Amino acid sequence: MISILINLIILLILPFIMTGIIKKTKAFWCGRKGASIFQPLYDFIKLVKKDFVISKTTSFVFSLTPLVTISCIIFAGLFIPLVSGKAIITIPAGLIIFAYILGLGKFFSLIGAMDTGSSFEGMGASREACFTSIVEPAFFIIMASIMALSGNYTFESLSKIISNTGNYGALIAIFAALALFLMVLIEGCRVPVDDPSTHLELTMIHEVMILDNSASGLALLSYSSSIKMLLISSLIAKLIIPETVSFYPLLYFALIFIIAIIIGTVESSMARLRMSHVFEFIFIMSTFALIVLSLAAVRIFGG
Amino acid sequence: MISYFNGIIILLITLVLLFIPALSVLFGEGTITKTCNINNIFGDINFVIDPISAFFIIIIVVMGIIGAIYAKGYLKPYILKGKSISSHFMFYTTLILSMLAVVTCQNALFFLLCWEIMSLSSFFLVIFENEKKETLKAGIKYLVFMHISVLFIITAFALVSIKTGSYDFAGFAPVLKNNPGFTNIIFLLFFIGFGIKAGFAGFHNWLPEAHPAAPSHVSAIMSGVMIKTGIYGILRFLSLIGTPTKFIAYFILIISVITALYGVLYAAGQSDFKKMLAYSTIENVGIIGIGLGVGTLGLIYNQPAAAFLGFTGCFAHILNHSIFKNLLFFGAGNVYLKTHTKDMETLGGLVKTMPKTAVLFLAGSVAICALPPFNGFISEFLIYFGLLNGFNMGGFFNFIVLIFAFAGLALVGTIAILCFTKAYSIIFLGNPRSNCAKSANTDCDLFMILPMIFLALMALCIGLFPQHAFKMLINPANVLMTNLQTIQILNEPFTILQIVSYTTLSLIILIALLAGLKIFLNRKVETHSTWGCGYKKPNNYMQYTGSSYVSPFMSMLKPLFKKVFDVKKPKNLFPSSAHFSLHIEDIEEAYFINPMLKFDEWFLAKFEKLQNGNLQTYLKYGLIFLALALILTIGGSLI
Repeated sequence: MISILINLIILLILPFIMTGIIKKTKAFWCGRKGASIFQPLYDFIKLVKKDFVISKTTSFVFSLTPLVTISCIIFAGLFIPLVSGKAIITIPAGLIIFAYILGLGKFFSLIGAMDTGSSFEGMGASREACFTSIVEPAFFIIMASIMALSGNYTFESLSKIISNTGNYGALIAIFAALALFLMVLIEGCRVPVDDPSTHLELTMIHEVMILDNSASGLALLSYSSSIKMLLISSLIAKLIIPETVSFYPLLYFALIFIIAIIIGTVESSMARLRMSHVFEFIFIMSTFALIVLSLAAVRIFGG
Repeated sequence: MISYFNGIIILLITLVLLFIPALSVLFGEGTITKTCNINNIFGDINFVIDPISAFFIIIIVVMGIIGAIYAKGYLKPYILKGKSISSHFMFYTTLILSMLAVVTCQNALFFLLCWEIMSLSSFFLVIFENEKKETLKAGIKYLVFMHISVLFIITAFALVSIKTGSYDFAGFAPVLKNNPGFTNIIFLLFFIGFGIKAGFAGFHNWLPEAHPAAPSHVSAIMSGVMIKTGIYGILRFLSLIGTPTKFIAYFILIISVITALYGVLYAAGQSDFKKMLAYSTIENVGIIGIGLGVGTLGLIYNQPAAAFLGFTGCFAHILNHSIFKNLLFFGAGNVYLKTHTKDMETLGGLVKTMPKTAVLFLAGSVAICALPPFNGFISEFLIYFGLLNGFNMGGFFNFIVLIFAFAGLALVGTIAILCFTKAYSIIFLGNPRSNCAKSANTDCDLFMILPMIFLALMALCIGLFPQHAFKMLINPANVLMTNLQTIQILNEPFTILQIVSYTTLSLIILIALLAGLKIFLNRKVETHSTWGCGYKKPNNYMQYTGSSYVSPFMSMLKPLFKKVFDVKKPKNLFPSSAHFSLHIEDIEEAYFINPMLKFDEWFLAKFEKLQNGNLQTYLKYGLIFLALALILTIGGSLI
């Protein structure tokens, strides 16, 4: 019970800190001191206190969108192993429930964007939907290969790879972790796919989808994209921290912070890609997925 | 009108009498057999309600009644215009009855007869608006395809009957069980025959034409129920052959993955919303087929978990698809009735004028994208879980095929989200894009809304309480698994589905709580026009359109589509008019069917000279024929 509570609190609080660290890292590379790492939390509270300004074109879908999106992401988080190395709900094929609950959130965020009748938001929704359709199969191939290799259909199987399957396991874990890191960048709308600090560019994707949101709606939508980043980072942690270590929580926090710092560094050191190159970037993830698949196949059938 | 309507409802309610034995078979044990002797041609005909038949009977009867109720509202404007609908309702009833006969009778000859009645009655239903040229064209195409289909089925039945000397299905089983080579050939013939009906990729060509042409309740009954008789045929064949060959299993699985992808890709590209729904039917048939393929593979490799999950997933998706596809076709019918257009690019903003339809269509869209909390998720979950269980059962080939089926299903899911977010937001959200959309000023009447509410509730209930709905899938799945060494009802899916239902329920509760909190906080709401990044005068035509919404995706998969542009560029200094429209043509039609038709035209034109309108020539033909007949008879008797 206590472990569930701790996991839940981590799920709800850590995304703010993770975003805070990314911002701090970016400030560091700019030579600024930067805001406190709790600044995203303060922003959230401030936004919740504000009044709404909404478009008169919108319908019930628009006002429902932030609520559905955040609920879906939190519920998807219940299936992901967090700080204790165990998910709150551990069931076989949790992967599918996780992906489809996220899908429901995505469905609503897409129609919520289209509800404003703005061509900018349409553009963002269109790109977001397109990227998901490339990311999702790659994610499924990685997870399926790993689950087939360990013969266990829960997310617990991720940690078995590196400790039980020798050299192949290490290789698979590295490639899978790289692919998942790309997924963090894509799904979390970070550079080089998208730039969370602006929307007034022609490469706009996620940031432009929430253009018409205000007050608590905006707060919930940015919050949910931070949670999503944490969830996929947690999968990376589960993947590369071996099962046998006794101080998992410590390593977990260290890894999440390292990932946040890497994201911040990537963001400070490179520019956003041109839209046509974003597709190529996402296909790198598919390539990694196929590498993981072939390594798993070699391990299973090649002896 | 009222009398026809009452008549059909009474008739369909009598069908509920069939419903009760079907339920008892589905949830109880054993089968019901009734033998009757109609005449000497058919001999004894066995009508059997086994769990598979019972499952289909329930779908046919329920959807038949719902469709009839919806039809009352949908046909009202046509009656006001003075169109006679008596024959339409007659064919509707005939269609329902013939489908019931198809799924219960076990005699090959009688089966073919009912199959033909089913095709013909649905043909007459399709050409309801026969004053329109394209409707007639679609209807004739449908008729031709159905007869190509029946040709294959007749051939297959004939081959089996010659070998067994029996027309009864039970008599087929021994021969099919012991000759794998022969079984494969028969399977291919049946698969093409039934596959044309079901709309598997490659055989699907009639589907995207006939569904949009038919009135909505007919599209719904055809897409939701009638094409499933094709699946029923394949299922019945599999139940006869016991353990299938590897060829059959991999064939079903691979063609189903292709079907699902093909269907959903084209669905995403369409701007005619009924055509989009028709293509999405092809997608869902593919998903049903993936379940079937996993089940058969589980049988071959003796993996009860994979077989059980595959077959239950297949049956669950048959049921679920008929629920949400009917819901969506009814919604599409409401939109068509009020706006008189099927082109979604001209619509928009209907959520304000048709709120009930909009909410129900949203429920259908979420369900068809297989998202929780609706029913589509349950069947896809079972299929996914079956695939997961099957990864390690065979060799390398099996592993790779199943992994790609797994990823393929995920891809289908995401493209379905793309497709239905597009359809929903272009039709219902934003601002009206034309006068068609503005002309819809009220929602439809109760006869059209009530069936939709019923279907949406059904979809929601199955999605929220899958562990109860799951019980009706066990008996049909067990019929296909009789040859498995360890017949057992697996508890694992039950417990998982229970957790799924708790999760989805609490998800809904959380959303409700947040909504409550939002109301409680009671922040001031100010309305403004949509933020146009500083641009003050946006008009409705500047909104994103459906084709621009899918264009990044479509351009990524360019070679798979044949795009037909209709462009009229603005000219001169003060351009008066301009036009642009994009139509995506089916690649199979463009590169396979049309060239074949052209060849036929060219080839048959060679025989045009035979028919020259000259009476003397025709008499000459008669004379030649008689002479030939005489010579051949005499010659034959001499030899």
